[in-house]
Amino acid sequence: MMAGMENRAVQRSVDPATQSMLRIAEKLGIETVWERLEAQQPQCGYGELGLCCRHCNMGPCRIDPFDDTGPQKGVCGATADTLVARGLLRAIAAGAAAHSDHGRDIAHTFLLTAEGKAGSYEIKDEAKLMALAVEYGIETEGRESNEIALELAHAIHGEFGNQAGPIRFTRRAPEARVKLWQEIGVDPRGVDREIVECMHRTHIGVDHDYVHIILHGLRTSISDGWGGSMIATELSDVLFGTPAPTRAVSNLGVLKEDEVNIVAHGHEPTLSEMIVAAAQDPDLVELAREKGAEGINVVGMCCTGNEILMRHGIPIAGNFLQQELAVITGAVEAVIVDVQCIMPALADLATCYHTEMISTSPKAKFPGATHIEFNEEEAFDIAKTIVRRAVENFPNRKPEMVNIPDETMECVVGFSVEAIVDALGGTLQPLLDAIKSGAIRGIAGVVGCNNPKVRHDYGHVRLVEELIANDVLVVNTGCNAIATAKAGLMLPEAAEQAGEGLRGVCEALGIPPVLHMGSCVDISRILVACAAIANALGVDISDLPVAGAAPEWMSEKAVSIGTYVVSSGIFTVLGTVPQVLGSPNVTNLLTQGAENVVGATFAVEPDPEKAAALMLERIESKRSGLGL
Amino acid sequence: MKTVFVNPERCIGCKQCQIACVVEHSESKALFGAIAEKRKPRPRILVAPGISMDTSYPNKCRHCDPAPCMTVCPTGAISREKDLDIVVVDPDKCIACAMCAMVCPFDVITFYPSYEAILDKVVAIKCDHCVDRQRRGEIPACVEACKVGALVFGDINELVKMARTELAKAVSVGVGGTVEEIEAETVHLPPNVEAWRELGRTITQIGREEA
Repeated sequence: MMAGMENRAVQRSVDPATQSMLRIAEKLGIETVWERLEAQQPQCGYGELGLCCRHCNMGPCRIDPFDDTGPQKGVCGATADTLVARGLLRAIAAGAAAHSDHGRDIAHTFLLTAEGKAGSYEIKDEAKLMALAVEYGIETEGRESNEIALELAHAIHGEFGNQAGPIRFTRRAPEARVKLWQEIGVDPRGVDREIVECMHRTHIGVDHDYVHIILHGLRTSISDGWGGSMIATELSDVLFGTPAPTRAVSNLGVLKEDEVNIVAHGHEPTLSEMIVAAAQDPDLVELAREKGAEGINVVGMCCTGNEILMRHGIPIAGNFLQQELAVITGAVEAVIVDVQCIMPALADLATCYHTEMISTSPKAKFPGATHIEFNEEEAFDIAKTIVRRAVENFPNRKPEMVNIPDETMECVVGFSVEAIVDALGGTLQPLLDAIKSGAIRGIAGVVGCNNPKVRHDYGHVRLVEELIANDVLVVNTGCNAIATAKAGLMLPEAAEQAGEGLRGVCEALGIPPVLHMGSCVDISRILVACAAIANALGVDISDLPVAGAAPEWMSEKAVSIGTYVVSSGIFTVLGTVPQVLGSPNVTNLLTQGAENVVGATFAVEPDPEKAAALMLERIESKRSGLGL
Repeated sequence: MKTVFVNPERCIGCKQCQIACVVEHSESKALFGAIAEKRKPRPRILVAPGISMDTSYPNKCRHCDPAPCMTVCPTGAISREKDLDIVVVDPDKCIACAMCAMVCPFDVITFYPSYEAILDKVVAIKCDHCVDRQRRGEIPACVEACKVGALVFGDINELVKMARTELAKAVSVGVGGTVEEIEAETVHLPPNVEAWRELGRTITQIGREEA
């Protein structure tokens, strides 16, 4: 039995901390995401192939993927092409909505801060504020920064309800790219408008031409990547500071046996920033001592963890598939959550321990969790209330239930575009030179979630190892960034694992071969970097020796991300299979036809070594195209 | 002899057969009623996953003859409806001893309360080949629900003959026939379905060899 347990843990994850927690979970008979996936097997083939539709009450309908016996049309007459394209469009809509609503929340905080109504927040990056104001054509000469901020806040708020476009940040893309978007009719008009139109088009009896449907998907995704997500990134930098390189620690071993452990999990830094601040409050630290703890240890989980990791070097406990394992350590006083990628299973799991799950967003409640609603006006006070609850929970910890794995790994993070330019000595030129000389063959953006269907972190780590070994500089975000941090690939010493060319560049600059650019909304930073490089070379993004990948993706946000990355001209490899195979036409459009439309395609390749080969092939062909 | 013939390569794991089976064997004979019944109706066809992702097999009573379950039943609760060749359980005679389950070669006999049994007594639950539907001239509910042709109802010899013909065509490829001569739908899975299964296999294997 022990052998079986050992084998299962190792098969489920490459991460040793995760493996040891899985052994403990199994010994205690605690259910995790992996058991729930097993219980779901076999999963419905109609769903996996994208061949079911619940959009009206003549249905639900499904289409037989074997084109000989069963129905080939829904009740309304919709074909496999229509069903698959509509399903994809709704996924893009949900993903774009999640990112963009996150952006809206940050914009709201920024507005309240500019109005002086959110006393806990302040403008930390004045230079970025000024640069954004100039970009928006706002007069800065001789004006108070608050006045400028207020005008900028209104202008950015306006992007969500913009009806006629353009969304300002889309114009950061190279001119050729913008022109292409305009020509094929995918230049977004406004953030909310495109998402609403997705829902309209996919209603019974509206849009049925799969190419037409997917083109709107491109437009919606662009309003995310170059709109909502970019707004989230830029205004988070203004409010909380633009990340700069900092050293930090990753993996579950960051939890401390003798301190109050608070896990900040979810996505929006408006909350996690305040939790970090409240945990330093002298009264609360003193209270922690009174309760027998040595201090208060805030750690991050998933993307809100990335936000505070990037800006403050707050330890990151893990990525998506480790959220339950953090609770199973028995050492967590509170898991504080806001929105996105939070498993509702946490609330149930917390009842096995003293851990309290605290939800905070007016948008997200979890049955079984304590809800303490957060608002910007009283942000710091609410954060203190939450931290106090965690501190007061410390005496309820059961020492016999505590199992914190030993594993930690150091990492150097905080590579915003500004930080990369700084590291390069104030200009992109050294990077361009390294690419031109071939020392760096190209750049890969590796992003996305975890998915229990594939071995945890295996695709993330193997792909990145393979890329850097072949002299491809990797920039990453989200769960991929956390995976590579835990694997030690974000240390300058990891340059030893890179090919000779990349190694030389990294050692000269003292940077790791894998650059952490932030949370999932911060993929917008990668777009900005690509645009800057393309502009410097006077070409379009689709001409650059770059490629993207999402080796373990699972969320609808990832569908939107993949789509805007491809729409921006970047070839993207997916490691898990999107729900589109039921339509050979849609599949061909995404994997081949798109090349002639946006100059890039998707590929599906679960094997990270083969995925790396595809990306390298692409990078080399783009190099030849540029005459390099 | 009429039976439910399974084409496992066509099963996509949607479990609609299970749901149709539950509804047919509920007291209300309707989905919305079935989910609220006190003695929860249970499926008698069970779709189980294969080793690789995206493979599955709908398992059910094969109505053997002689039927081991019938032979060992100490109370004579299991009998054969001779005209339709269906092995059925009389819930009133069943004592839930599980002898039938132990000898069943397919492990498809389960034990739950049933609306057809007295009070909350647990009884053997297994496929009755929708005997009531068949007597009305209808095909079994699972077969009706299956839209992908994984479950087919008909004369066993006819169905076997069809499968045999398909096999012969496949063999002919190996001895020099060309793929074009074969009707794609009888021998080959559509390429997209093949791609889906192939990716399922890869995902199941990836990174685990070294583990």
